[in-house]
Amino acid sequence: MVAIIEKRDLRDFDWLTTILAVAIACFGVWQIHNALPNENYWSKQIIGLGIALFAFFVIAFSDYRRIIEFAPFFYGFGLLLLALVLTPLGVEVNGQQAWLKLPIIGQFQPSEFMKVPTVLMLARYFGKKKTGALSIREALIGGGIMAAPLGLIMLEPDVGQAITYFPILAAAFFLSGIKIRYVVGAIVLAAVMVPAAWIVGVKTGKIKKYQQERIMAVVDPESVDPRGFGYHTIQSIITVGKGGLSGIKGDTETSQSVLKFLPEPHTDFIFAVTAENTGFIGCISLLLAYALLLSRLIAGARETTERAGMLVIMSIATALAFQIFINVGMALGFLPVIGVPLPLMSAGLSAILTTFCAIGFVVSIRMRRFVN
Amino acid sequence: MKLNEYTQNVGMRTIVIQVVAFALLALLGVRLYYLQIVQGDYWSGRAENQRIRLIPIPAPRGAIFDRNGKILVDSRPTYNVVLSNEPLKTIDVSTRVPEYSRGLNLESDFVVERLNLIKKQNEFEALVLKESATMQDIAWVESHSLEFPELRIELQPQRFYPHGTMLAHVLGYVGEISPKQLEQEEYSSRGLRPGDIIGKGGLEQSYDQYLRGRPGYRKVIVDSRGRVQNEIEVVQPQAGQDLVSTIDLDIQTAAEQHLAASATGRGAVVAMDPNNGEILALASAPSFDPNVFTQGSKTPEGRRQIAAYWQDEKRPLYNRAIQGQYPPGSTWKIPESMGALQQGVITVKNSNLACGGGIQVGSKFTRCMGSHGSPPLSYAITKSCDGYYYRLALKMKIEGLIQMIETFDFDKRTGIDIPNEKISQTPKSWKPIVEKREGRWSDIRTVYASIGQDTVVVTPISMLRAVASIGVKGKMYVPHLMKEFKPIGAMGEEGSQSYFAERPGVTFDRPDPKLVPMTPEQEEVMVKGMWGVVQGGGTAGSIRIPDFDIAGKTGTAQVAQLGKDVGAKKDHAWFVSFAPAFKPEIAVIALIENVGFGGSHAAPVAKGIYETFIATRYGGVPPADAAIDPKLVAKR
Repeated sequence: MVAIIEKRDLRDFDWLTTILAVAIACFGVWQIHNALPNENYWSKQIIGLGIALFAFFVIAFSDYRRIIEFAPFFYGFGLLLLALVLTPLGVEVNGQQAWLKLPIIGQFQPSEFMKVPTVLMLARYFGKKKTGALSIREALIGGGIMAAPLGLIMLEPDVGQAITYFPILAAAFFLSGIKIRYVVGAIVLAAVMVPAAWIVGVKTGKIKKYQQERIMAVVDPESVDPRGFGYHTIQSIITVGKGGLSGIKGDTETSQSVLKFLPEPHTDFIFAVTAENTGFIGCISLLLAYALLLSRLIAGARETTERAGMLVIMSIATALAFQIFINVGMALGFLPVIGVPLPLMSAGLSAILTTFCAIGFVVSIRMRRFVN
Repeated sequence: MKLNEYTQNVGMRTIVIQVVAFALLALLGVRLYYLQIVQGDYWSGRAENQRIRLIPIPAPRGAIFDRNGKILVDSRPTYNVVLSNEPLKTIDVSTRVPEYSRGLNLESDFVVERLNLIKKQNEFEALVLKESATMQDIAWVESHSLEFPELRIELQPQRFYPHGTMLAHVLGYVGEISPKQLEQEEYSSRGLRPGDIIGKGGLEQSYDQYLRGRPGYRKVIVDSRGRVQNEIEVVQPQAGQDLVSTIDLDIQTAAEQHLAASATGRGAVVAMDPNNGEILALASAPSFDPNVFTQGSKTPEGRRQIAAYWQDEKRPLYNRAIQGQYPPGSTWKIPESMGALQQGVITVKNSNLACGGGIQVGSKFTRCMGSHGSPPLSYAITKSCDGYYYRLALKMKIEGLIQMIETFDFDKRTGIDIPNEKISQTPKSWKPIVEKREGRWSDIRTVYASIGQDTVVVTPISMLRAVASIGVKGKMYVPHLMKEFKPIGAMGEEGSQSYFAERPGVTFDRPDPKLVPMTPEQEEVMVKGMWGVVQGGGTAGSIRIPDFDIAGKTGTAQVAQLGKDVGAKKDHAWFVSFAPAFKPEIAVIALIENVGFGGSHAAPVAKGIYETFIATRYGGVPPADAAIDPKLVAKR
C-alpha cells in the first residue's frame, strides 16, 4: 500500500481537511467523555476513530474513478445489508430495527454506510451528463437510485436517517442543471404544503400525538408537558443555556448528562453536552471548524476537472451541512427531535466510519485534481 | 472554473450551496448566542432547580412534663417508609400496589389510597407509606432500592404517650395536618405544609408553636429519577421547647382511678390551686389512647380503632370537664347565695328564709327534700334546703340571678388553655328564647333555676372556678395547664441562613384574676355553710377527713326524675369543694354521670383526691392549721 503512494500523492494530499476532521473528532471524544465520564463510550470512540482513519487513508490514496466504476457493486451490497436488517439478523433498539449484528464484525448501522454508495451511484449516473437542463427521465432514474435504500430505511423505520438522504439527491439535481424555476417552485410548494400537511395530519390523526408534541415542543417548549415528549427538547435547551459564555469547564459532577436529565448525551445530544461544557466560546469554535471544513470541501469541488468527482464532493458537503444543521437545530430546540447524529462528534462507529470514508473520497478527488 | 463549460452554471450553483450552508450555520450561531449569553442565567437556574432538592429533617417535638418533672409525653425514634413523588411521575403506579402490600404487609386498599394521594397532590414531595417500620420492612426496602427507587427509609421521632388513656383530654395528640386545615388562615399563616405533624386537641394543639421544633434539611443533588447523588449541605433541626405543665401526676392518677371506680365510670374530675388557677388534675372518663391516633392513623386497624372512638356512644373523645354541660343541681346554690348577699337580698346578719317544705307557685307545688323551718344561710347550705332557695330566688328575681351569672362568668368561657371549651347555658341565654316562645318568664322557671335545674347547664370547669373563688376572697383566676416552657439553645452559626435563634424560656403569663366583690363577713358565712356540709352534719358528712377541713357542696342534678332510679337516666352526682376550708390550697370538683346522690357518689371521689394531696404534699399528715375547732366555727 505504502509502496504505491507516489511522492506526488503526498504533495497534493489535503492535509488541512484531514487535520480539521481529525481535530473535530478528537474534540468529539472529549465531549463524549464529558457526557458520560463513568462509561467507556469515549474509549470506544477512540478505537472507532482509529478504524475510521485507516479506512480514510485507504480511500484517500485509492483512485476514486476506479471506485466509482464499481459503484453498482457497492450499491447492491449496501441494499443487501439494508434488507438483512429487516430479517431476524437485525437488532431492534427503541422500536427501530436499524442495526445489524454479524459475527466477528459486531453491530453496525447499514443505513449510515449506505450513504456513500448512494452518493457514488448518483455521481456515476449524473457524471456522464455533459450539457443541458435536467430531464424528467434523468430525474426519475436519480430518484430511483435513492428510492431503493430510502424505502428499506423507512421500513425499519428510521425517519432521522431517511431525512439525511434527501440533500444528497437535492445536490445532485441542483448541480445537474435542474431549472431554477423548478427549485423556486419546490420551495414555494414546500412552504404551502408543510403547514397544510400539518393541519390535515393533525385533523386526521395521521400525525401521532407524540409527534405533534415533539413539534409543539419546538414552537413553545414551555407550554408542553416537560415530562412528556417535550422533555428532550426542554432538557436540551436547559443544558445548552446553562453553559453560558465559557461552560462548566469539565466539572461534570452536576452536569445535566451525568445526572441523566439530558437523554442520549453521547449521541443525539452531544452538541448540548459541548454547549454545557465549553459554553458559547466552544460552540462557536466548533461551528467555525465545521464552516472551514465545508468551505474546504466545496473549494475542492470547484477545483476538480472531473464532473463525477465534483458531484461526489458536493453531495457529501451538502449532506454534512444538512446533518449538522438538523442535529444542532434539534439541540438548540428549534427543530423537532429526530435521531440524526452530529457528524464527527456523536459516538458511534458506523457514523464516524461513514463520515471519514466520505471525506476520504473528497481527499482522493482533490489529490487527483491535476491529473490529465 | 473548468466546469462552467457545461452551460449549467455549476460554479454559481456551488456558491449558492455554500452560501445556504453558511447561512444555516450563522442561524445556529445566533440561536446559541440567545440561549447561552442572553438567557444563560435563566437556564442555569432551571438546571439548578431540577437537580437540587431539600429533604427535611424533622425536628423533635418538645416533651411534656408534670409539675414535678415526671414525663407525660415524649418522642421516640421510629423509622418510616417514605414514598417520594419524583420517580412515580413517569410510571404506572398500579403495578406497585401488589408489590408494596406484599413487601410491607399493607392492605392494598390503603396502598392505592396513598398512591392516589401522592399522584393527585403535586405539592407533596414525599408521603409516609408505612410508619413504625419493622426491621423486615427496612430490609425489604433496602434490598429493592433499584426496583423501587421511590421508596426510602426515614428516621422520624414519633410522639409517645407513656400513660396511655390517662390525661388524654389534656394532652391531646398529634397528627398529619389535614387538607382542610391547610386552607385555614390559622395554619397557613404559620407556614405549615402538607405532611407536617401538628398538635390536635389539648396542650399539643394550644402550644403547638412552642412544642414544634424547627425542621432542618439536607440539601442534596438528585438525578433525573430523584435519586440522591450527593449531599451539599446539612442543616440540623432545632428541637421544640419542653413544656412543664401544672398537672400533678399523683393527683391526676388518683382522679383517674376514683373516676374509673365510680358506679358508671363516666364523669369528670378537676383539681385546681384556687390561689393561682393552676390545674393539678383534670380527668374525663371514659378516655381514649392518644397513641392510637399517632401510630394508628396510617394502618387499617388503627383507623378502625379511631372510627370506633368516634362512634362510641359514651363519647370517649369528648372532654367532659370543659365541654360537658350539666344541670348543676344544688352546687348552683353557692354562687347564687353569694349573689344574693352581694345584691343585699339577704344580709350576713339577717339571712333567714322559710323552708316551708316546698313552695306553691300557681297551681304547682314544688317540694323541698326536708323540713328545715326558717334556716339562716349557712344552715341552708349545709342541709341544701331547696325551700330556702326557692324563696331566695323569687326575692332576687330572674334579673338578680342573671346578675349573679354575669358576676361568676357563667356566660363566658373560663379561658382554660386547651381548645374547644364550651360555654355554660343559663337563664341569661335562655330568657330571650323563653320569653319569645312563652310570652313571659314565669316564676316557676325562676324556682327551678334556683336549684340549678331546667334553664341551667354548666361546665364542671366553670363551676369549679366560681366556687373556688369563695375561699380566696373572690379572686377568680383563669384556670390553666401550662406552667412554663424551658428555653432551647440557638442552632447553627449566627447570620447564616441555617441559623435558628435561641428560644427563651416562657412562664405562664397569668391574667389578673376577676375580682368578685365580697366582704370578709360574707365570705365567712359562705365558707361556714360549706364547712358544715362535710364537718357540720351536712350532706357530705361521710367524707370527713380528720384534721383536714373541707368546704364543699353536694349536688344531685335531675336528668329525668329527681331521686328515682330511672336506669340510664339517673341523676348526675356533683361535689364541688376546696380545702383546707379556711385557707384553701386545693379546690376539687367531681361529677359522675347518672349515678344518684352527690353526697354518696361524687363526694367520695373528691375525698380520694384530698387524701392523695395530703399524702404527697404533707406526707400523710395534714398541716396544723388545716382544721379548726368546730366550736369556733359555730361562733363565727
